Amino acid sequence: MDKIDNNQEYSITVKDLKVRYKSVSSYSIKKNLLRMKGAETKAFEAVRGVSFEVKKGEILGITGKNGSGKSTLLRAIAGIFSADEGSVDLHGHSISLLAIGVGFKSELTGRENIMLSGLLLGFTEAQVKEHMDEIIEFAGLGDFIDMPVRTYSSGMHSKLAFSITAVMETDIMLIDEVLSVGDEKFKKKSYEKMKSLISDKTRTVVIVSHNLKTLEELCDRVMWMHDGQIKKIGEPKEVLKEYREFMK
Amino acid sequence: MNRFFKDLGKYWNYTFYSAKSQLKTEVANSYLNWAWWVIEPFCFMLIYAFIFGYLLSNRGPFFNCHIFIGLLIWDFFNRCVKSSVKMVKNNKSIVSKVYLPKYTLIISDMIVNGFKMLICLLISFGMLVAYRVPVDWHLIMIVPVLAVTILFTFGCCTILMHIGVFVTDMSNVINIVLRAVFYLTGIFYNIETALPEQYAKLLLTFNPLAALTTGMRHAMLAKSMPDWVTLGLWTVLSIILTAIGVHTIYKNENTYVKVI
Repeated sequence: MDKIDNNQEYSITVKDLKVRYKSVSSYSIKKNLLRMKGAETKAFEAVRGVSFEVKKGEILGITGKNGSGKSTLLRAIAGIFSADEGSVDLHGHSISLLAIGVGFKSELTGRENIMLSGLLLGFTEAQVKEHMDEIIEFAGLGDFIDMPVRTYSSGMHSKLAFSITAVMETDIMLIDEVLSVGDEKFKKKSYEKMKSLISDKTRTVVIVSHNLKTLEELCDRVMWMHDGQIKKIGEPKEVLKEYREFMK
Repeated sequence: MNRFFKDLGKYWNYTFYSAKSQLKTEVANSYLNWAWWVIEPFCFMLIYAFIFGYLLSNRGPFFNCHIFIGLLIWDFFNRCVKSSVKMVKNNKSIVSKVYLPKYTLIISDMIVNGFKMLICLLISFGMLVAYRVPVDWHLIMIVPVLAVTILFTFGCCTILMHIGVFVTDMSNVINIVLRAVFYLTGIFYNIETALPEQYAKLLLTFNPLAALTTGMRHAMLAKSMPDWVTLGLWTVLSIILTAIGVHTIYKNENTYVKVI
């Protein structure tokens, strides 16, 4: 019994994670013929040995300056990037990544894209259909929902993306800089939604944001990343205070 | 292997829905709607029939049907291969946001092109009636031929998709290769009668598309069997291609996002 409880307690276990961008640069045949030599590979380590755990139901905030590896880390957790070293263990939970300009097919309508995204998140057609109206209402796009996504403004794009992930709840939600999308009304609505997720003890959320105020209000813990490493992790107040001083 | 079939089932809903909405969008976004799927091969048939059949008087029996059947196989293969090279890049927005086995993109595209081929196949049945082509039970042999076509195409696409991610100008190379294969496939001439025997045999064995189109024509126009030995050979080779392709994709697909 004890053992099972222990397993369920953690949603995400990241161990010694390293992600490199190297050796896998694309090359063109023309370029290589002209140069007659293999392209020199530049190794760039975006995430350099990061270890942490997120408890079930916890809201973890991640902040840090641009290029510190936050987004790469999220993608590695979502299983989109392969880890070069170390491991990511989700303990069998379903996961979704919400980022700016989420994966839509621009020629298809909003409604069709909702269905496709839902199916990709691992839901059945019936389940998505069931939530369709709720998503459409939450997004508040009006008649645009039946127009091709390429006609959307960037704000509408993000609103739709957020609504899908917010309504089709997966066990773990990774949120990359999208809390400040849309107009004032939608911002408020998504903020409320986030708050309700916090009170839901089965939902695990990881938020990447530069908005320190939001992080302080929403998160149980905050992680500060610097040059691909964890500079500090812990209570939001302490970490953010230090971060603010550092960024001055 | 197991993982392949498991994933296939798991992502089938997505694959199928994606293909379906793709087809629907194509219909909605053009003036003549789905008519284009028919008009295009039909016009190509007329052009080839005019140039090769009339101007060069290189006619065989049921020459128009001959061309049309060749084109429907070729178009399917050609479209799938061409798009597979750029598949990952063209789906960047999805690939970089959520994990999916990358070959589902290929399958989705193959369903789209396969549906178009099916419509052309129906038209070709209409042509058989219109041109009073005598047919018999051999017609059913198009099923194994089409099955091998699909398998072979999938095998090629998986490998080309992988290469296409890392080699940026692969599509230029593929265009040249496809053009060469097109002329060697005998879309607008009859390999069996137009070429010296030794070349014909060589092409019919080692160019799978020549073997497949000829097999189709045998079944539909000549009341005879496809060449089972060649068909068997390419079935085995297609399975090997597919296995290599799927294995390579599984091994490398998570690095694709880093490259594009």
